[in-house]
Amino acid sequence: MSTLGLLRTLFNPKIVTPNAIQLQSLNRSPFLVGLFFNHEQVRTMSRVKRRTTHPPYWHVLKNNQRQDEKISSDNLRFVREVIQDKYKNKSPIKGSDLDIEKKEWDPKTKRSGVIARNIGVQHMWEKDGKKVVCTVLHVLDNHVIRYVPPEEYAKSIIGAKVFRNRKPLGCLVVGAEAANPDRFTRQYCSLFNEVGLLPKKRLARFIVTPNAVLPPCTPLTAGHFVVGQAVDVYGKTIDYGFQGVVKRWGFKGGPASHGATKFHRRGGTIGTGRDKARVWPGQKMPGHMGSERRFCRGLKIVRINMKYNVIYVKGTVPGPTNSIVQIFDTVLPRRKFTEAPPHPTYFPPEDGTLPQEDIWDSSLHVFGSPSISV
Amino acid sequence: MLRRAVLQTFRQGLAQSFFKRNAVSLSETTVTHQPIETSDEADEKSVSKQKPGDESGNTVVVAPPEFRFMYPEFLPDPAMERRNRLKEKLERIDMLQRRSVVEIPEFYTGSVMAVTVADANSPNKFARFVGICIQRGGSGLRAWFILRNVVDKQGVEILYEMYCPLIQKIEVLRLERRLDESLLYLRDALPEYSTFPLDMEPERRLNNSVVPINPLKVKLRPRPWLERWERQNLQGVEDLNLPQRFYDKAEKVAKPWEKYDLMLQYRKTIPAEEQEKIFADVHSQLQQQEFKRKIRRRRGTD
Repeated sequence: MSTLGLLRTLFNPKIVTPNAIQLQSLNRSPFLVGLFFNHEQVRTMSRVKRRTTHPPYWHVLKNNQRQDEKISSDNLRFVREVIQDKYKNKSPIKGSDLDIEKKEWDPKTKRSGVIARNIGVQHMWEKDGKKVVCTVLHVLDNHVIRYVPPEEYAKSIIGAKVFRNRKPLGCLVVGAEAANPDRFTRQYCSLFNEVGLLPKKRLARFIVTPNAVLPPCTPLTAGHFVVGQAVDVYGKTIDYGFQGVVKRWGFKGGPASHGATKFHRRGGTIGTGRDKARVWPGQKMPGHMGSERRFCRGLKIVRINMKYNVIYVKGTVPGPTNSIVQIFDTVLPRRKFTEAPPHPTYFPPEDGTLPQEDIWDSSLHVFGSPSISV
Repeated sequence: MLRRAVLQTFRQGLAQSFFKRNAVSLSETTVTHQPIETSDEADEKSVSKQKPGDESGNTVVVAPPEFRFMYPEFLPDPAMERRNRLKEKLERIDMLQRRSVVEIPEFYTGSVMAVTVADANSPNKFARFVGICIQRGGSGLRAWFILRNVVDKQGVEILYEMYCPLIQKIEVLRLERRLDESLLYLRDALPEYSTFPLDMEPERRLNNSVVPINPLKVKLRPRPWLERWERQNLQGVEDLNLPQRFYDKAEKVAKPWEKYDLMLQYRKTIPAEEQEKIFADVHSQLQQQEFKRKIRRRRGTD
């Protein structure tokens, strides 16, 4: 060990763990006047791979790799007939048909979530004239595919990590956006064989408590949520590609003029010469930016359109327009439900009465109503 | 066949209006009146445009091509990454709902308008502002326009969002167009070109079917200016009288190939087929609202 290193361990007896570098206090010793600790970074996540171009190894191959086959039009028609026969429309599930016992809602229940598409941003106004930016989320044709009970889920790879130190919960697999089975592989289509549904383009897992279980083939719509409740939205952020240090980390770069030679958007120094004498892991540099998993918590639902299955949420969600997001009840403790929501999900009334088409939050100004006079 | 014929007339109308507008911007001398039909004429025209039938035997209602200029905010932002048909449809429904409550009249850049908004800080809770529209933009519920006036020798510009529920009334005091689509140069012009009396009365026009183009050439103050007006091909400005080096630099920096760039135009506009669908969708509702308003006005309950 070098003299410098020895001195450092003598005067600063804090143990440096591999996961986190603790903040070092200013040294007051006359021997170590020249030493400064400039790096005050927490680099816990610097080695973790945040994004991949391939799905996890336990996933089944999804998209059909075949080349264009020259099928005659008769055979093509036959294939279409077979598909139609196989996936004949099922009658919609009513609330009374549920074969599981109706379980009561309690504040600790975790309901299923919903897969939606972020279709854009619309400006609306509150009753005092204040403008509000709302994201429009179109709830796609969600169907429950399968339920994995808590004991079984806790043995799976993801489940074991999630429930390492707590009581396991069940997992509901929900699919959205039905598509032609031609474009998928046989293994992927077999995931939907039990349910008898057209294969879905998108699948998602939602953690649910056993009392909020839904049978397979249950449709989930915008009515699953209540106007005024808070939701969390999960999405993948906008993919900016390979970006420089100014856009990616907010560096200031260099002067635009005053004789600056080739130093306008660069990072500058990446380390000192003395301590550690190398570039520290986690040093902010150019690289891939975006396309990361993010949750926007506690967004308020201000309007639900039952006819078009559209939810208006106050604020913005991660991801670009026309990207898929997942919506579920919020985990924030102060904004959770106090009254029972549609549990386990919303079913249209059985006496044939249509629900109210457009439900607005009480704080919003409805467009057909008279102008606001302050 | 008939449907194609209908589409062709729409596109011809579009092309004609496009060329008319281009002719206006390219001419240097005084300009003749280019007829742009107002909503009255448009209504009559739309009735006549109902073709007897297409293959299915239904009447095909086509909105007149002038709707593209009268109601430009119904057309969405052309950027393809952010377009979604369902969201645009829902936004249009909301816009029509708002229009059923407040009359948002047809106006152009260069029209003198008066806007009344609810204002908590005003003495009688409503604030009325009169000004000339120097710019308009935005699409959908975000549509906006800027009114400019000079009050007590101070230039004032206010940006109003057309669908904001605080707006009580929008009146067009003088409906006319200017030689340019954007009158931002009024900021550097002599103040008399932006001054309008705050108690201005609405002007009644003799010829209701045509929106007149005011061929006024505005005199600018001496330099420095807020923008380089010599580089912008402004038609509504008098000779700038600058030294030749300004015009030389303007020529160097100019992009004369842009007027031949068809793809650039395509990316900036919504295709004709989509425009037709959008305005056909919206047209009948706007007609109904206009009709109801006319009845109310005749009864005198306005």
